[in-house]
Amino acid sequence: MAVIELKNLTYHYPLSETPALQSIDLEVEEGEFLAIVGANGAGKSTLCYTISGFIPHFFKGELAGSVNVAGMDPTKANLGTCVQKVGLVFQNPFNQISGSKFTVYEEIAFGLENLGVDPQEMRERVDEIIRRTRIADLRDRSPYALSGGQQQRVALASILVMKPQILVLDEPTSQLDPIGSQEVFQVIKEMALQGMTIVMAEHKVEWLAEYADRVLALSAGQIIKLGTPQEVFSSSELPKHGVGISRYTQVARRALQENLWLEGRRMPVTLDESIEGFREIIP
Amino acid sequence: MPERMSFFIPRESRIHSLNPLTKLTLAFSLIIIAFFCPGLFLPITINFLVLVPLSFLGKVGKEFIQTSIRLLLPLFAFLFVMQSLFYPGGKTELFGIWIFSVTSEGVVFAFRTATRILVMVSSFLLLLLTTHPSALMSDLARRGVPASLSFIITSTLQIIPQMQAKAATIQDAQRSRGLDTGGNLINRIRSLLPLVGPLVFSSLVDVEERAIAIEARAFTLPVEKTSLVEIPDSPAEAILRWFLAAVAIITIGYRIWLSLSSRI
Amino acid sequence: MKLIDSIKRDFNTMTLVMIPVAIAINVVIGQIVSLLKLPVYLDSIGTVLVAAICGPWAGALTGTLSNIIWGLLIDPNAFPWFPVALVIGFVAGWCAVGGLFRAWWKVIIAGILVSLAAAAISSPIQVYLYGGITASGSSFITAFLLQSGRDLMTAVLSTNFLVEPIDKIATCLLAFVSARYLARFPRPENIMGSSSR
Repeated sequence: MAVIELKNLTYHYPLSETPALQSIDLEVEEGEFLAIVGANGAGKSTLCYTISGFIPHFFKGELAGSVNVAGMDPTKANLGTCVQKVGLVFQNPFNQISGSKFTVYEEIAFGLENLGVDPQEMRERVDEIIRRTRIADLRDRSPYALSGGQQQRVALASILVMKPQILVLDEPTSQLDPIGSQEVFQVIKEMALQGMTIVMAEHKVEWLAEYADRVLALSAGQIIKLGTPQEVFSSSELPKHGVGISRYTQVARRALQENLWLEGRRMPVTLDESIEGFREIIP
Repeated sequence: MPERMSFFIPRESRIHSLNPLTKLTLAFSLIIIAFFCPGLFLPITINFLVLVPLSFLGKVGKEFIQTSIRLLLPLFAFLFVMQSLFYPGGKTELFGIWIFSVTSEGVVFAFRTATRILVMVSSFLLLLLTTHPSALMSDLARRGVPASLSFIITSTLQIIPQMQAKAATIQDAQRSRGLDTGGNLINRIRSLLPLVGPLVFSSLVDVEERAIAIEARAFTLPVEKTSLVEIPDSPAEAILRWFLAAVAIITIGYRIWLSLSSRI
Repeated sequence: MKLIDSIKRDFNTMTLVMIPVAIAINVVIGQIVSLLKLPVYLDSIGTVLVAAICGPWAGALTGTLSNIIWGLLIDPNAFPWFPVALVIGFVAGWCAVGGLFRAWWKVIIAGILVSLAAAAISSPIQVYLYGGITASGSSFITAFLLQSGRDLMTAVLSTNFLVEPIDKIATCLLAFVSARYLARFPRPENIMGSSSR
């Protein structure tokens, strides 16, 4: 069953002549992990905001076409209802801290307080989520005194604790150092393996190739490719639109020129696929 | 990183464990009594027989006295000098200095004003030294103060130290580029502008993302919010609060009655 | 109902997030200015900024809370002055609604109006609470006027009418310059040039 359904969606930001998204048709199944790739300004964030209801509620502007997310029309429901169904985590970890709480534990409970959850249940849910996101040791620290990676896991926990049906991640690791990114990716991977529906805009192609079910490539607000990571990341069209292809694909292409890759064998997008391919030619 | 950003001193004491609203009511009642009751020596009595002992009961006596001296001494010095010399109703000359004369009316007026201000500042100081700002705010929110108001105050308390750090960074950067921040008036004004600009802009850039972040946490959802932190309160404290409020109201009434009857 | 609508119009989530930043701007710049020993306060730039882009009610709230926060963190002496800060935000807000934040020379007029309102509110507080004398340099002017035979309220009022405009004009101009970089606030038309009307 599709939990996200976009039909012929076109969106203009206020006062903007060119559409930020144009004729988008997209269906995402329950439990699916969809990755969004594209150059800066391709419309990745705009798509994330549309699925999570911030477009049009927060950004205003003109939206045409139909949107159906988790059984509701986010353009008609109020934003408070949208955010209960769709959780949003974005780039800058620092700006996602509510600012009104003095400890990590209270910070994570902030969303539950706003939902009117009973304090007893609140504690149980916060305890569980800090365990799953591996931040139990940070519980009494000030959210502002953490590293970027830690802050981003707090942001993730703060959203996950609200039990959204769909998790939307807008480049959650782009402002983190390698270790911080690793920690955040680990949590996202576990969520994906547990069957959560995830939509994630991200640049790290190799990681997406490993874990995403499907990949959507955007350019100038339009879909240029939608398919399995294998289909999308090995496509020769992507670099033309400023989207990076997998490092393994790049190596294999070069290998093909040097006769080190079998003619007609599909291009690898993961480490395992490329090792398999090289095993065939180098005994 | 951030310097200590509130007066609060975390200790275990009878005063710390009181409900924040009780301490707030106490502060307001004492201030009203000090300002509305006639007695010249009443405010200073309140300060030394009520507030100072309470601060020691709250294990913050030393900080209480130090902070009130730091906050009030310059003001009091100024007040006494100016009022005893220039008080308009001054007739009785105590002694003269050069062309000025110190009047006893001026001294009395300065004393009355200073002791009232002393009660005002110290009452709040007792509250602030023994109450975490977030406990005060969530207790008020629980009693019907809008959540957005408590959000604004608590997040301000967190933003200020960050902005101070940011200001220090910008000042250092400007200084390393050779900007003179000392010296004469013109220099000091000149040094201000390159600080204000970057500070204001850099703080405002983030506002939009932060608004999205709190929306994503259902802050504007129109349901009744709950609170993680449970704040102690007891029926005895509720009675104490009503009693304090009643005393304050009676004081105001008494004062009004006094001024009305003196006019007749 | 019109009043409630007018108040509601000022407050969206952007306002809510903006106010703490504005208060922090007031406090931090106010502290720096007092350290630099300049003859102005400049402790209401944030208040005027919110008043201009979010509206008079939001401005009044920012001013009031600035004084409460200043009292909570730095000096409880700030509490009783909150009506002054409230009025600064409120008057600046209506100046902006009336179009006085659309060009720099109009902003000077706004600064004068704000300073008159501030002086009118602060003088009685200064007289009744502090006997007319506060620990600021301008109290020397008050003392001089007292010596020359003015009554206390006249002396304090005249001092404040003399001193306030410089500070408030500077404050409004600085807020005006900062405001031009912002969008998506409840009353963006207040700061846009007349061309966009």
